[in-house]
Amino acid sequence: MRAAGTAKQATGTPPYAELHCHSAYSFLDGASQPDELADSAAQLGYTALALTDHNSVSGSMELAQIAPTHGLRAIHGAEIDLADGRHITLLVREARGWRNLCRVLTHAHAGTREGPGRERGEPTVALATVLEHAGGLVCLTGCATRGVHDEPTARRLLDAFGPCDLRVELQRPYARRDRARNRALEMLARGLGVECVATGNVHAHARCRAELQDAFVALRHHMTLDASEPLRRPNHSHVMATPAAMAARFAEHPRAVRASVSLAEELSFDLTSELGYSYPGAEDPTSMRRLAELCHARLHERYGLRAARGATAFEEAAARLEEELRIIDELGLAGFFLLHHELLELAREIAAEVRGADSASALLAPGRGRGSSVSSIVCYLTGLSHIDPIANRLLLGRFLHTGLEHLPDIDLDFPRDIREVLIPRIHERYGRERSALVAAFPTFRPRGAIRELGKVLGLPPAEIEHAARAAEHHLAASEHRLGISEDRDGAASSAPAPRGPASDRSPRGPTSDRSRAARSPRWVWLERLVAEAQRLPRHLSQHSGGMVLATRPLIDCCPIVPAAMESRQMVQWDKDSCADAGLLKIDLLGLGMLSAVERCVDLIAQARGERIDLSRIPYDDAETFKAIRRADTVGVFQIESRAQMQSLKRTLPRDLDDLTIQVAIVRPGPIQGGAINPYIERRRRLREDPDYEIPYTHPALKPVLEATLGTVIFQDQVMEVAQAFAGFTTSEAEGLRRAMSRKRSQEALQSHRERFLDGARRHVGADGATALQVWEMVSGFAGFGFPKAHGAAFGLLAYQSTWLRVHYGPELLCALLNEQPMGFYAPDSLIHEAEGRSIPMLPPDVNASAVECTVEEGGVRLGLGYVKGAAVADVRALVAEREHGGSFRSPGELAARCGAARATLERLAWSGACDGIVETAGYGLSGTAEQVTEIDGPSARNARGRAVDTETARTRRRLALWQLGIAAPGRAVARGTQLALPLELPAAPRLRPLSRWQKLLADYASTGVTIGDHVMAALRPRLTAHKLATSAQLARLPQGSAVSVAGLVIARQRPGTAHGTMFLLFEDEWGTINLIVPRAVYERYRPLARAEPLLLAHGRLERTAGETVRAIREVADGDGERVPPVVNVVVRELLALERFVASEDAPVAAQVHRLPTVGAGLRAVAPAVQSFAAGRRR
Amino acid sequence: MSAAVRGSSGGRTRQGGGRARGKGDGRALGAPRFARVRAGAEGTPLQVDGRPIEAVRESWLIEDRWWTGRPLRRRYWEVLSASGRNLVVFHDLCTGEWFAQGG
Repeated sequence: MRAAGTAKQATGTPPYAELHCHSAYSFLDGASQPDELADSAAQLGYTALALTDHNSVSGSMELAQIAPTHGLRAIHGAEIDLADGRHITLLVREARGWRNLCRVLTHAHAGTREGPGRERGEPTVALATVLEHAGGLVCLTGCATRGVHDEPTARRLLDAFGPCDLRVELQRPYARRDRARNRALEMLARGLGVECVATGNVHAHARCRAELQDAFVALRHHMTLDASEPLRRPNHSHVMATPAAMAARFAEHPRAVRASVSLAEELSFDLTSELGYSYPGAEDPTSMRRLAELCHARLHERYGLRAARGATAFEEAAARLEEELRIIDELGLAGFFLLHHELLELAREIAAEVRGADSASALLAPGRGRGSSVSSIVCYLTGLSHIDPIANRLLLGRFLHTGLEHLPDIDLDFPRDIREVLIPRIHERYGRERSALVAAFPTFRPRGAIRELGKVLGLPPAEIEHAARAAEHHLAASEHRLGISEDRDGAASSAPAPRGPASDRSPRGPTSDRSRAARSPRWVWLERLVAEAQRLPRHLSQHSGGMVLATRPLIDCCPIVPAAMESRQMVQWDKDSCADAGLLKIDLLGLGMLSAVERCVDLIAQARGERIDLSRIPYDDAETFKAIRRADTVGVFQIESRAQMQSLKRTLPRDLDDLTIQVAIVRPGPIQGGAINPYIERRRRLREDPDYEIPYTHPALKPVLEATLGTVIFQDQVMEVAQAFAGFTTSEAEGLRRAMSRKRSQEALQSHRERFLDGARRHVGADGATALQVWEMVSGFAGFGFPKAHGAAFGLLAYQSTWLRVHYGPELLCALLNEQPMGFYAPDSLIHEAEGRSIPMLPPDVNASAVECTVEEGGVRLGLGYVKGAAVADVRALVAEREHGGSFRSPGELAARCGAARATLERLAWSGACDGIVETAGYGLSGTAEQVTEIDGPSARNARGRAVDTETARTRRRLALWQLGIAAPGRAVARGTQLALPLELPAAPRLRPLSRWQKLLADYASTGVTIGDHVMAALRPRLTAHKLATSAQLARLPQGSAVSVAGLVIARQRPGTAHGTMFLLFEDEWGTINLIVPRAVYERYRPLARAEPLLLAHGRLERTAGETVRAIREVADGDGERVPPVVNVVVRELLALERFVASEDAPVAAQVHRLPTVGAGLRAVAPAVQSFAAGRRR
Repeated sequence: MSAAVRGSSGGRTRQGGGRARGKGDGRALGAPRFARVRAGAEGTPLQVDGRPIEAVRESWLIEDRWWTGRPLRRRYWEVLSASGRNLVVFHDLCTGEWFAQGG
């Protein structure tokens, strides 16, 4: 039994080796990570451990890497599902066996995406396929319940594998018929003339995960624990036990126990060294020469012809190139660079196809490098990077150095459209067997885990949802929030289950406020299970853009499985495993802003006839930098977020170098490393006093941290500090960086710490306290930070997009609206901000809008594609019909001619797109759309005094709904639309106009945006709360004022680095308001803070003085420059704004529609918000 | 393992357990009753209700319903008494009590 003999084996070989073990990569049939299994196995005294996940080797590389550090030998294999539903266990004996295993698994998964909608199916493989790939593999006959137990099948296995490589597998799961079955299996083995081997079918590394395994089984079958009893294991004997206990468990089969040890010894395959992979071009002897030729040719192009840069730049570049080529030659990486170059050329071809050779965006490179590759001149010359490393003084260190142990990373950003075509094209070019995407493993996070495991426990759905919403998204925070930690402390090691009624335990967190629930053991268990499930992989998914390529079939290295997206496939390894395997990985990332910038350039060409080459725009444009310093950056790349904007007003960037730092600074790395405040403060001091001396923590840090004023902001500075301060070699420093950026390296990081502190003492004679201080700076980076080169690439794009915003505002806005979802702000916020800058925003109109948004007379017209619920095909047909047959003159004609479904017509009417064509005879309204906004009358005006909304317009919307409601739509037939008759509509009854509020709701409901009006403008006259400050007034109030503000919430963030503080961004009709909600206040008002779209906050104003005009000497023009202050409201109290809204003074509306209250009405349709959960897509 | 053994039919007293398969509905007959068991070091029953045990035929383990207020942890033993009778007894690992199944 499990409990028997927990003593570690004293000496010698343990009596048993585990040859059948599942990790969490069996996805919902295994509850431990490979490293946890390895750790446990070592503790329990094992010397060998096989990982045999269901149809997967996703955890193999991880085990292979971690096992040796525990003195454990990793054995690789998988449990295979045969087509008849039975299981066999395959173990790898030698390299050939690994290849065969990968091929078998590839076969097993080949048909998993053939169902409708490419839903994931169950992998299975025909027995015949396994038999064909028997070489180098050992076959065990499978588990107790589903193994191969009949002689005919066993004989087929014997014929293929031979008596040396077939074992009859005995298991003892403490089920009722174990002994009889094992006796029968022993007979079977004797009949076949093969040996038996004992295995444990381990599913959890320790007792504390046993229950989670039960819950996973229920979850996998979409059942509750109560209902899934027949499917679960009857007990927890699947927890890893000591070798001695396992030997005792099989007391009747001592030979089978001994066989586990001897077989484990025979299986000598080492995944870390025997993979036999090489990337395309690696063996090509001419590659070095070709690369050198390519680079030299481009060197003259790039540096030779620019007279202005002089001979020194050329010489410097040439010297740098020789240096890099030497390193590349030494490392044998020429083929690697050529391969990337080839891919980029492929992208160029695709770009010409996708965009047409003569489009304005053809001037842009089809992709650009990000990450450390940008620092290389070879990359610059071969087109992989667009950043000149000489001009930008980028060091090569992190990317290429002679001690390099792994292939360097080259990340390429592509516009989305090109990436979509490029990935399948690469599969074509290199063959589907030789290229695949990299896998990713989404892990259990608190919210998802609460929802899924809560259901498994049979808890009431509404309460589960309540608990899930109350849970935090961030892992670090969750452990406090769920109140798990205290429960766990006492029970971490031994059997922790609350065996009796759990009333004596007091769970905290989501359930603590409900005492009834708190008493229920199911809620106690929910917390425990959620805590245990943290970070376990949930299923196999696709990495955002990592791709691996190989010269020989990749399926000999790692199984390939179809991905969810059509014509894409991926390996079973994630990026860490691929890197460990030495697979060449290329990141092809889709970057929304690149697409948006391209669209923008095209729009400018169309609207103004200007062809813009973004690589040749001035990089010192005063107006652009002024906008950046004022934080007028909504919609631009990276520096548009709430946090970035606040930081811009403090750092006041003056050039691209400053922007390089700026995009890197608001990241977990610099934040946790404590870099931000010192950097901002030192910049301020330097502005005021150019002779200010930067206080370096140690003089040795000056050369490496000078550019960032003594703080660590870039990832490469981690390496540079380690080298300059602690005497690390380049590869040691690279090892440190890798340890920091990977999920599985906490222990490795600790060993670097010792080495660092010791090195600092010896290398520069730093005292202990200083060394520790520098280590803290450096190790804070374990979060995430940018390499400098990445910062340069992103900083440049940030500049380019700001430049477009400043000089081509409408075009950039239009491009952003068409490229959604992307960026920090929802379209609604982008539109309101643009209206504040007097960019006219025009509503959708069936006679003027295209499918996408368009630039129209210096403004932007919302596209009909924004109308939710209008079928895309219908909208396309409508626009085509209008272009072909002219404008629509009436709703009847529209309905008849465009052949759209009634639902589409109704949505269009709701959105106001048909206001211009309603038949107004008898209503005293004039006929054309243009006149609508000009009509006098009881119009509401928005904050800027523009007539935004007239009763006429609101009547039109109502009429449009009526008229389209009764109009007979034309029928779509094979060749166009069959007109419906008659076109004349009967007169509508006298209809009352929509109220202003109704119109806003209709806008949000139909398009997600409001144009020309703002909910706060509409509510302002009805607010009963007094002394509300608007966003425009805030900047004029003194520091420390008590203020009340109200607004529409457009961003909520609660970053893991903020220790529980929440940041809210309000929008009103004048602009935005930053709010800081301290942790205690947040916890008091959590439901409001998390979900309510309209809020009123009481608090205290906190502001900077606002930079003085003359402070920016370098850029001060005649009058200098006014930099607005950073203003925050520190919230004391949050209230739902609806409580302060007087009932609408047009009572008719309520009679007609029984309107919901202000809050509920908006809650249903409120626009998307930047939230701290997933964030909007970038 | 028969589903009835680990059935979710509620309280301990009503739960069937350990009736051999093929006997139809075991619940009616299967109510466990207290048993006096002397067990050896490994938990092996040596004597049941005063009758010496000749041999262990099978032993299995049930761990279930841990998420409820009444978790179930039982070690079952199918044994042969010296008089040749087949007995199924179980040790309730939560309470330490022994029960005999059936008959």
